[in-house]
Order: sequence, then C-alpha cells, then structure tokens
Amino acid sequence: MMICEAGFESFFSGTILPLVAFASVGTSVIIALAFMFGRATSNPKVTVWAKTEILQLVISVASIFILIMTINAFCVLNMAEIAGIFSQEIPDAPSCASGGSVSVYCAAETYLKDAAQYSHNAMSVVRYHLQGYTILSFLNAFRCDFNTGGIGWGCLFGYSGANQQPFGGYGATIAALNIFFNSTIIAFFTAMNFLFILLFVQKGFVFIFLPLGVFLRAMPYMRGFGSLLIAVAMSFLTVYPLMLGVLWIMSDILIDGNNNLTPIVSGPGLSQFYNEWIYPNEESKAMAQSFGSALSGPDYVENTYFPQGENAAGAIIFAANAFVAAVFLPTVALLTTIASIAYLSRLYGEAIDLSKITQLV
Amino acid sequence: MKLALLILLLMPLAFAWQGLAVAAMTTSVIILALIYMVGFGFGVNELQMMAKEEMFQIIAVAVLIVALTGTDGILNAISTSDAFIETPGDTGATMQSTAKDIAVRWRGEITGLFTDIRNLDIASSREGSKGSQCNIAGMGYSVSGCGGYSMLATPLSMAGGIVGFAIGELSAIERLILVSETYALAFLLPFGIVLRTLKFTRGAGGLLIALGISLHILLPAGIIFTDMLGQTFIADERAQEYLPQNYGTVDFDCNPGDTRPEGWAGNLIMPLSIATFDPDLFSGQLMTNNEINAINGYTTMRENIRKYLYSILVLATLGPVISLMMVAGGIKALTSIAGAEVDVSAISRFV
Repeated sequence: MMICEAGFESFFSGTILPLVAFASVGTSVIIALAFMFGRATSNPKVTVWAKTEILQLVISVASIFILIMTINAFCVLNMAEIAGIFSQEIPDAPSCASGGSVSVYCAAETYLKDAAQYSHNAMSVVRYHLQGYTILSFLNAFRCDFNTGGIGWGCLFGYSGANQQPFGGYGATIAALNIFFNSTIIAFFTAMNFLFILLFVQKGFVFIFLPLGVFLRAMPYMRGFGSLLIAVAMSFLTVYPLMLGVLWIMSDILIDGNNNLTPIVSGPGLSQFYNEWIYPNEESKAMAQSFGSALSGPDYVENTYFPQGENAAGAIIFAANAFVAAVFLPTVALLTTIASIAYLSRLYGEAIDLSKITQLV
Repeated sequence: MKLALLILLLMPLAFAWQGLAVAAMTTSVIILALIYMVGFGFGVNELQMMAKEEMFQIIAVAVLIVALTGTDGILNAISTSDAFIETPGDTGATMQSTAKDIAVRWRGEITGLFTDIRNLDIASSREGSKGSQCNIAGMGYSVSGCGGYSMLATPLSMAGGIVGFAIGELSAIERLILVSETYALAFLLPFGIVLRTLKFTRGAGGLLIALGISLHILLPAGIIFTDMLGQTFIADERAQEYLPQNYGTVDFDCNPGDTRPEGWAGNLIMPLSIATFDPDLFSGQLMTNNEINAINGYTTMRENIRKYLYSILVLATLGPVISLMMVAGGIKALTSIAGAEVDVSAISRFV
C-alpha cells in the first residue's frame, strides 16, 4: 500500500487525519487554557503567546491541507503528458502506471528502479570482463623443446621446455576495470538507497511527522523542531519525487531507456556480457577448457569468453554512464530536497542549519 | 496586484509550457490573494507581508518567462558563436556539438593510449611469465630468465588504472553534454520556471533553471576553454615532446633459458656462486641480454611518460574538472538568484 494506490486513502483518513485532528484539538486546548490563565492572572506575556500560537496552529493545519491537495495533484498528474507538453519523447509506460497515466510517484519509483538495473547491468559487464581477464591471465601453457609438427620431443624422455602464461598481461586492464567495478557497486547501492528512501516516504512513514509537527510547533522552545518535521514531510513528499520524476522524463538518454538499459558503444555490443553462467563452475568444464586449449591453442579459451571480442573501453563507458545516472543526478535531487527542507523550515519558524547533513550526502 | 494580474492576462499563451506556467502563476496568485485577505481580515501583518513578498516572486517568474522567450535567441547565439566552434562559419555547429566533438576526440586519444598500454602490458607480461625447465629422470633445473620483465607489470597496472579512469571521466562528460543538448533549454529551463511559481517547489524550480543554464552554457564552455588552452600549448615548439605521438618501440622478445650476460660466449647456464661472484655482473656492465631488454623497455616507457602527460592531465583531468567546477559554481550562483540556494558542495566533491 503506497501513495496513490487503493487502500492508502483509508490509511490516511483513518490514521493520519485523526492524529492531525487530535494534535490540533489538543494544541488548541493547551493554547486556550494558557490564554485563560493569562487573562486570569493578568499576565500579558502568556496571552500574547497564546494569540501568536493559535495563528501558527492555523498555518500548520492549512499547510497540511495544502500538502494533501498537492499529493492528490501529484497522483493524478501524468508525467507522460508533462513530457509531451515540453515536446519530449515519452518513455514507455511503467508497470505502476494506472490506465496509462504515470503519476509523479510512479515516475520517480520507475526511474530509480531502472537506474539500479542500469547500474547492475554495468556491473555485470565489468564483472564479466574482470573474470574473463582473470581466467585468461592464469592460463598456463608448457611448450616442449625440439618442436616438430606440434610434437615436442623434449618431453619424450623427460620434461624439457618453457612454461608461459600466454594471456598473462591483463594487469593494466584489470586495474582500470577494478576502479569501475567499485564505481558500479557504488552506483547500484546509491540507486537502491535512494529507492529505499522513496519507498519509505511512499509507504507513509513521513505522514507521522505531520501531527507531531502541528503539536510541537506550538509548544514553547519547540518551534524549530516542529517546523523541521513539517518541512521534512513536505519536501520528501513533493520535491524529492518531483525531481526524480523529471529524471524519468529524461530516462531515454540518461539510462538508455530506449535501448533496453544498455548504451550503444563502438565495438562488440555490451548486452552479450550479461551472461552470468558462461564461466566454468565445475571441474569438468575447466578441464574441457584446458584440454581444448592444449589441442587448439590458447585462443580457444579466449574465444569461449569473448567470441565477438572483448570491449573493455565500452565497459568503462557503461560504468561512467551508470555513475551519472544513479549517483550524480539523484544526488542533485536529494540536495534539492535538503535545500527545500531548510527553506521551508525557515519559512515556518526558525532557520535550520542542515549543512552537516548535506556533507553526509 | 492589479498590474501583476494584467501582466498575467497579457502573457502569450501560444506555447504549451508558457500556458502551463501562466496557469501555475494564476493558481499562486489566487492562493496569495486568499492569504492576503485572511491577513487583512484578522489584522495579521505577517500574512500580509508574506503575500506581498510572494507576489514579487510571481512577478519575478513572469519576468523570467519573458526573459527566457527573449534570451533563448541570445543563448543560441552564444551557442553558435564562431568563438566557440571549431570550424568558424559552420552554420550547423553549436557550442554543445563542438564540445561533444572535442570530448569524443579527447576520448579517442585516451582510448588509443589505453590500447598502447594494454598492448605493452600484454607483451611484457607474456614474456615475463616465461620460464625454462629441463628435467630428466627426476633431476633438472628451472630458470626464469625473463624475470626482469616482471618489474614492468606494476607501473603498467598503475598506468592502466589512470588511463581507464580518464576514459570514464570523459565518457561521463560526453553523457552530460548529450543531456544538456537534449534537455537543457527544451525541458529543464521552462519546467524549472513553472515549478518556481509555487512556493513548495521553488527550490526544485530554481535548481532546474540553474541546472539547465549551467549545463547548456558552462559545461561546454569549460570543455572548449580547456581545448583552446591545449591548442595554444601544443602550438609551442617546446611542447612537442609532450604530444601523444612517436612512441618508442619496446623490444620484449625474451628467451627464458638465456641467462648469459651480454657478450658472454661461455656455457648456457652462467655459474653463480659466492666463490665466483663478479660484482660487475650487477653493475650494469655484465647484465644478461634479457635484463638489458627489460631495462631498455622500462627506460623507453619512462621516456614516454611525458607523452602521456598532456592527454591525461590536460585533456582528461583538467578539462572535466574545470567544466564540472564551472557547472557547480553556476548552479550555486543561479539557485541563489532564483530564490532558493542549493548547497552543491556535495556535487563538487565528485570532481
């Protein structure tokens, strides 16, 4: 059950709204009692406080209703139509689209899922190359001396010859790919992390901040904290999914959405390297490889893993693209959300210094 | 207020996104009018002031729309200016396409270096792995006459890592330029203006405006600027030794059983014991042919390092760093102008 899905409304109207109402009424009672106490004791400080706080309470409740309206608007807003308005190509409708309409939340979720898949694809391609090069590097050949027509007479009565690793020199390539293997892992986990945050928001947890914010904002010395709670809820429910929804519109280029999440690069196509099962994981297959290479030469092994040739440069390009799509731009979305929290909390009460949190991103 | 409404009514509705922007602005104006009325009715000065301040923001958005409609041509004029394109007079070229061509050219050069390093690595490691064995009736010897080549593996691995990273940097820049070409003016900028209208989404709108302009102008400008610097540098005759060309050849052919010093005419296996230890053997005067080849290979590669420096340091490192710093700086400055500053120091740390 998530935002815009059937059943969420009952959670919202059955749990969150009563809590907001309860918080509002409770806060009003406290303010009213304070006002009466101020009047009874002729204490102008208390009465002024009560008057100020009742206004802040109205602002808090009004903000929550505006937020509810915005969420409803985001649920019915079709991002595919938005793309059309700006003359952009419309990405394929994702599975979460309802009747062809892609809500803001659906678009955001789809982008992050696809970005995670894209990073995983990049990781698969880099891993394939790394494993291939490692296996090739450790291939050993022994060439017997006095070779005549493929028969080394040097091994007839003893063991005379030269051993060699015919593909031993992939250190430079492996070093380059290791960096990008790490970067694709970071990209994958970053996309998953952002997706988790989004799902956490969409499951409705941040709504709990709303009644708490309404109550705490009106309490003495708690204005800043209450404002922060409301600002967090508002920013993560509106700005964060909206920014990610914008990235979904750009997904044809950002994550090669129009090419099955695989970039087109020069050299052999990268989708052939998604195969996870080509490498021998049983001794018999390894022996077959050794035997085949003994009979047909070391190229036999290389052709098994790279039948159309390898594409290390393409794998690096894929990994770099994945970093842009899954780390760089979603981070921009999160930074915008954090900036929005600071902006809204300043608007609702006190300025909050979120620079330390920004440094954690 | 009346003036603002008049501006809104006069706003051209011929284009789809402008219409959307006007609809968003109208909604905001209605909400602000309600807030102002509540503030006026209950005598709350804060609400009245907030409504007035927000009204100025709406007017700023209207100005931005007009400015965008007018400056679209200016941005395009900057894009197609002869100062920023490789072949002046080429009417089809833009700043973005020029930057993309430069990035592709740079990546091509770096990929060539990567291929060179890989080939060197493959050749030297293959030779270095060679070992000779002779074993008859359970007794024999094993010689690794090409062991000297193993010293080449570490610097080549390091070089491979650096050059591979450079390819990645340039690929990321290419992708960002492609994004800017496709989306900056056509989508990010107008959509940012629409979002900036509403208070909740002002930060997001400001960021999209800043991102659109920065990606459209500053990112390609950084690449073109670095390329101009590079062209000036390589035009100087003193820079010729740093150009990525004329690599020396490296002889990697090695006989694993040959452990004879250069000019040695004795037995195949050189006797080496404490009793017959000859210090000249290790002083460079009596090294084996294989060792000499390995050291020559290392020396040639060391000489070639300066020919990699220009491509790696200037093209693949300085270019992307300058461009991304310009983009990050542009975003910070423009979001501040657009009304909600975004701390992009985290993005700068990617650089």
